[in-house]
Amino acid sequence: MARIELDGVRKTFADAVALEAVSLTVEEGEFFTLVGPSGCGKTTTLRAIAGLSSPTAGTVRFDGEDVSDTPVEDRNVGVVFQSYALFPHMTVAENVRYGLRFTDPPRGLTTDERVEELLELVDLPGMGDREPDELSGGQQQRVALARALAPAPDVLLLDEPMSALDARLREQLRRAIKRIQQELGVTTVYVTHDQEEALAVSDRLAVMHDGGVEQVGTPVEVYERPETEFVASFVGENNVFSGVVADRDGDELAVDVGATGTDGATDANATTGTNPTTDAAASGEEIFHVAAGDADAAVGDRVTFCVRPAALSPETGHNRFPVALETTEYLGGITRLYGEWAGGEIVLRLPEPPADDTITVGFDPADAIVL
Amino acid sequence: MTAIRRRLEAATLPVAALSTLALLTLLFYYPVGRVLSEAILREGRFTLEPLLSVLADPFFFGVLAQAAEDPSVLWTAIEPHQLGPITYPFPNYKLGLFGFTAYQALLSTIASIALGLPGAYVLARFEFPGRKTIRSLTAVPFVMPSIMVAIGFIATFGRNGVLNTALTAVGLPRIELLYTLPIIVLAHAFYDAPLIARVTATAWESVDAGTAETARSLGASPRRAFVDVVFPQLLPAILTGALLTFIFSFMSFAIVLALGGLRLATVEVWVYHRVNQLDYGGASTLVTLEMLFSLVLTYAYLQYEARQRAESAARPAPRKPLFGRLNTDRVAVWGYVAVALVVFVTPMASMLLASVTGPNGFTLANYEFLVSRQLTAEAFQIKPLTAIRNSLLYGVGSLAIAVPMGVLLAVVSTRDVPGSKLIDTLSMAPFAVSGVVVGLGLLQGLVFGTTVFGYRFTVTGAVAVVAAHAVGAYPFVTRNVAPLLATIDRSVVESARTLGASRFRVLLDIELPQVFAGVVAGAAFAFAISIGEFDSTVILASGSSAYTMPVAIERFIGRRLGPATAMGCVLLVVTAASFLVIDRLGEGRGM
Repeated sequence: MARIELDGVRKTFADAVALEAVSLTVEEGEFFTLVGPSGCGKTTTLRAIAGLSSPTAGTVRFDGEDVSDTPVEDRNVGVVFQSYALFPHMTVAENVRYGLRFTDPPRGLTTDERVEELLELVDLPGMGDREPDELSGGQQQRVALARALAPAPDVLLLDEPMSALDARLREQLRRAIKRIQQELGVTTVYVTHDQEEALAVSDRLAVMHDGGVEQVGTPVEVYERPETEFVASFVGENNVFSGVVADRDGDELAVDVGATGTDGATDANATTGTNPTTDAAASGEEIFHVAAGDADAAVGDRVTFCVRPAALSPETGHNRFPVALETTEYLGGITRLYGEWAGGEIVLRLPEPPADDTITVGFDPADAIVL
Repeated sequence: MTAIRRRLEAATLPVAALSTLALLTLLFYYPVGRVLSEAILREGRFTLEPLLSVLADPFFFGVLAQAAEDPSVLWTAIEPHQLGPITYPFPNYKLGLFGFTAYQALLSTIASIALGLPGAYVLARFEFPGRKTIRSLTAVPFVMPSIMVAIGFIATFGRNGVLNTALTAVGLPRIELLYTLPIIVLAHAFYDAPLIARVTATAWESVDAGTAETARSLGASPRRAFVDVVFPQLLPAILTGALLTFIFSFMSFAIVLALGGLRLATVEVWVYHRVNQLDYGGASTLVTLEMLFSLVLTYAYLQYEARQRAESAARPAPRKPLFGRLNTDRVAVWGYVAVALVVFVTPMASMLLASVTGPNGFTLANYEFLVSRQLTAEAFQIKPLTAIRNSLLYGVGSLAIAVPMGVLLAVVSTRDVPGSKLIDTLSMAPFAVSGVVVGLGLLQGLVFGTTVFGYRFTVTGAVAVVAAHAVGAYPFVTRNVAPLLATIDRSVVESARTLGASRFRVLLDIELPQVFAGVVAGAAFAFAISIGEFDSTVILASGSSAYTMPVAIERFIGRRLGPATAMGCVLLVVTAASFLVIDRLGEGRGM
């Protein structure tokens, strides 16, 4: 098991910067996730850790030891790729055994014992003689996992391992990976574009955007206390507002969003958190009261804050505003509504769709997060 | 210990790649460079004078040579031709050696397209028993010895060939086709029409039926839909095939030598003639000009080919059954099948027939001659069994060099290695350089000897022949292996690396087992090409005992047609066996 440190790791390709000086620490035995939209640099980061690509600048350390110049075959990492990447001309057992050609099995086991142990670990006991193409996608990915773990790597690296699977299988495999990771305690770096998956499995996660790290934290921290507008809108759905502080009363800010309106709701899949700010002058002065949290905003400062869709409710008496509804999506047990206020998009989650095409909602000042 | 092994393994691939390049330099770049330097150096001094004098010589460039002074002479090279009721301008023979070479290549290209396109239509749009077999047979010309094709054409169209025998039998006058332009053009079409049929059929099969159906639904007639939507998707393939055909026909040697002789000499044949007259300087000058021309064409071809992506269709149009109610379509197709049978089957059948017939009907005398001549041959005469033995030996020898070389270059060209683009281009150069040039270069550079650090360095004819064959063969290995290597997911290779395998181990453990079929197919290609190679062998084997079956055939032609056809049949059997291997394992990939 190893503690991984990235120190100013930067990667440029011919004409593009893939990674801007990323510094991260993954603790020993931790399940750490890199999450972000495609092109954000998460896979580049993983490949730098694996030694599959050498960073343009910066160092990678395992347990304090600089491995930047260690070739991939000597880093003792296990990698699972999205495409399974099983060796098609080898059986399942031969695939799992391959890494044991270059290192001895742990705990004095024989090679065969180690292979069988791993096949059991991934719930494929006795499948060693199968050919890879006889297996389903989920089974193939389990074999890939067993193969990566066989030489007892210090670090397990998972590059979108479930993207090729359907939703149900994905959840099953996700739980299996989490169980195995906890059982072995192997330091794991997991790359995904799926923020829900990232929240579900990680001990900690790093949200990445445009080649840089936006925020690192536990799932709860990242979801409940996003530090940037990108994180606020990428991790879960959010409604983002910006305005000028008109008054400050202790922990509560009075924010005038009338002049600028809302940045609009952004859904989890949007690559950018900002919609063009629209002119909301028509609605005149609009004051929202929001909890300041850690923000040390003073009167006259421009602030951005966000409110989760579920926090917007017709029953709340504070901060009420009318939303002109446009689209309704029934999600089973709950309804998602897209509407418009002050020129920006607002997303709501309500138990029942309203009868009218306008609904007035409000939010508790404590539910607003100032970024 | 393991650490040392790892170091060694890590070094294996770079060292192998470097030795391959060194070998390539020794066997190809140095000899060809030697020919070039011969053309531009006189007594150690750089001069363009020989090249310019060729350019200005009407013998080589016809009216083009005078065009610099008087451009109007160009018009005299264009004469009205009559085709039925249509009169059209076309170049005449006043174009000199180079002009004629290009002219016959152009005619050959037109003939190949005319013969190949209907074939593509039948292969792509009809279903019939044996379709797949015929389709794989279209790859045959790549391995078919040119001199064997020539002997087949002589057996068919010669003075006493099958055609004239048939004409005489029905009381018609004989026709003399040997040593005429049409027979050369037809032999080139025999070679290149299958190529055009093949590339076009492949493109046709990848045309999505939806595109034509959409055009129909928008109001186009079937003909309009074809012209507007389908044909434009075929055109790049047709042009690719046409360009290749032109290059091949321009550099064609054995067929023109055997069927046209000096009277219809192309540049290659004239170069061979100069070499036989021991005028190496003159030969080098001509070859340099030819090579400039063919390199430009090949570059154009590669540029054009690179722009095309081979996509497989989501849904190709369904094939029509070939056997069915006779409509105009099917009548035309059957007419084409009849023509194709005559052109493609008759030469080989005639060769077989001629080898077992004599003045008194069936005989094995021609084969007996091959054995008896072995015992009685004078020193200056060809020993038939020696030719067969040499061919097989050289085949194995070239295999041993071409396969590792080709595989290595395939690896380098498909993986991200620094400079892989450059290596790829350099290693494919032998495609653009004719066998005559390689032969001439090896003769001057290695057989005549070269001085390196004060040591005189010479090789025997046999070694030079193997070298020439290996140079001609390895691109086929690369072309068979590289596409397969490219299909291996990069993450498969990376997985093996993360599990602790060095790059060389990954090649041995993971990549080669998966591309094994391509390696075997490439090896069969290499063997077949060596067995059939004529252009460089005939130059390197002159005056030595390093002759092969194709060289023996050429010596026999003219004097002893019977033994030549018998030797041709032996060559056919060996080539067919190689082809079977290629067909089973290679599916003619990449060609």
